[in-house]
Amino acid sequence: MGLTFSRIEGHSRNFKILLVLFAAFTMIGFICFMVSYISGHHVLGSSSIIPWGMPITITIYLIGLSAGSLILSSLTYVFGKEEYRPISRMAVFLAIILIFGAMIGIALDLGRPEKSWRLFMFFVLNNMRSMFAVNGILYGGYFLIGIVYLGAIFAEKYKFIKMMGMIAVFWAALVHMGTGAIFGFIATRPIYFSPIKPFEFLAAAMVSGLALLMIVIVAVFKFTKKRLNQEIIFSLSRLLLLFIIVLTVMVLVDKLTHLYSPDREPILWLLTGPYSWVFWGLQVGLAYFLPIVILSHPKSGKTLKGVMVAAFSVVIGIFGERFALVIPGTAYPLPFYPGKIEGIWGAAGSFPITPIESFMSLGIFTLMGLFFLLGLKNLELLPVDEEGE
Amino acid sequence: MDSEVGSIASELQKHKGDKMPRWGMVIDLDKCVGCQACTIACKAENNVPHGSPEEQRLRREIYWNKVIAVTNGKYPQVHTQLIPMPCMHCDQAPCVTVCPAKATYRRGDGIIVQDFRRCIGCKYCIVACPYGARSFNSKEQEKKEYHRNDLPPDRSVWGLWPFPTRTHGVVEKCTFCFHRIDQGIREGKKIGVDVVPACIEDCPTGARIFGDLDDTRSEVSSLLASRDWIRLREELDTKSKVYYLLK
Repeated sequence: MGLTFSRIEGHSRNFKILLVLFAAFTMIGFICFMVSYISGHHVLGSSSIIPWGMPITITIYLIGLSAGSLILSSLTYVFGKEEYRPISRMAVFLAIILIFGAMIGIALDLGRPEKSWRLFMFFVLNNMRSMFAVNGILYGGYFLIGIVYLGAIFAEKYKFIKMMGMIAVFWAALVHMGTGAIFGFIATRPIYFSPIKPFEFLAAAMVSGLALLMIVIVAVFKFTKKRLNQEIIFSLSRLLLLFIIVLTVMVLVDKLTHLYSPDREPILWLLTGPYSWVFWGLQVGLAYFLPIVILSHPKSGKTLKGVMVAAFSVVIGIFGERFALVIPGTAYPLPFYPGKIEGIWGAAGSFPITPIESFMSLGIFTLMGLFFLLGLKNLELLPVDEEGE
Repeated sequence: MDSEVGSIASELQKHKGDKMPRWGMVIDLDKCVGCQACTIACKAENNVPHGSPEEQRLRREIYWNKVIAVTNGKYPQVHTQLIPMPCMHCDQAPCVTVCPAKATYRRGDGIIVQDFRRCIGCKYCIVACPYGARSFNSKEQEKKEYHRNDLPPDRSVWGLWPFPTRTHGVVEKCTFCFHRIDQGIREGKKIGVDVVPACIEDCPTGARIFGDLDDTRSEVSSLLASRDWIRLREELDTKSKVYYLLK
């Protein structure tokens, strides 16, 4: 194959500054977590009406990024598309870091994180009818499979890599569909309840994972001053456009189903209520509309700058999509009894953005950034330029 | 914990012969005046912390029982219905299905209980509950109010309370005052007559009635047979055990 990989030196000034910065924010995040753990979740934005806040939003976002990233690595190792080989190691490594970040996110959201081991007592202490418990198997297995897969890639055992790649792709799809099922199976919440949610989540995973991977590739190659074959990015961008269209169709079908009478109040509230700016602005605007326009435009879709803008727009927009699901989904008041329910019991929940929660959330990202930098320094993830440096 | 539940269950069986009771509540909407005595009685009995107005506004105050007011019509033709809402103790409880840690489960007598020692605080049950019956305890409570062993459920009077320490970071809900019921059964008292949950004991108009839904001689059965009743959110088919008698 003739392609060799190397680690980066990590002596440059920028690298060290970035490392210190990430470490500092991770520490701040950890302190914020300890505050919320010791004094209770009242320092966060969540309440009894919006039980899931920012950490869960970030978790499903990260799981999406991870699953998408891992599935893309299979282009090389399972489907034998050689042109993607330079980036596929990084894709697998990124997937492992992202799922780790997602599991941290879940732990931060738990009221009693010291009991999170209970999530992994499958069939013994767990209620396996709970989608949460089922997802425990999926996430844990995914993490292990990812590590074995990466190990096999480093050891260059090609037959084994192909087998692991196939398992990993299958498992990654399951992971994301399982995550969608956590929301889609809840009949109580009209905005969550939908049989298409698992597939929608899978499509969103592919879209956001691909976009993030493109950004990371371009950024890493730029910072390390390596030459990147731009054709890789352009072919990925065509794939991204396809996935965005698939996702848009799925979301459209989901929302139209809910909009169809009767029982249309919740979805109308989502589309016109206090969270409509997240839905229209971030989800529809940034995740679907803008990237579709940019990528299908004959000019801007063919420049690296245009593709990068589209990728950034997708990565932010899909975060908006997660937010527009998790928060309004529970904020909509439950219809206990026909009529107007007076007072707090009939009012939609509000989700205040608190500094503790924001820094805690930032901490998840910087922790992953820290691991990624250390990975670049200690693992052979980046391809060596063929012409020599 | 499990053996404890088992021993209670076997005692219940001894008491009732072969058949387990199926505890349920009937609330007469014609009699309810919306005084919130049930809410306060519940807080006092179960040591549920009070919240500040700010916490109430943000929906962080813990309620095991609430009274909602539902308005229909336009002035001057307005009708406001007061509806007290404890946990519905559904026979097909969504919260039990989604709990990953078996922290919430259905006892043999149909009461859905929450084990604080198992609860990991994932809040999935709050998401799944159609009645908003569950509250997340999001604050370390003041010691004097919360951790007193002499307050009910008092272990010296009621026997062993299954959850000796309360803590923030878990989900709480109505228990139908099962500590009273279990104690009453041990003492051979008649449940629903001599021993009732705290909200029923304190109701000034006698709007709430408690008893065995499977026992044809109980008051709840005769009321349900003679009056029109509804259950909330019947469309979800949760088979709730709290019935409302219509006006």
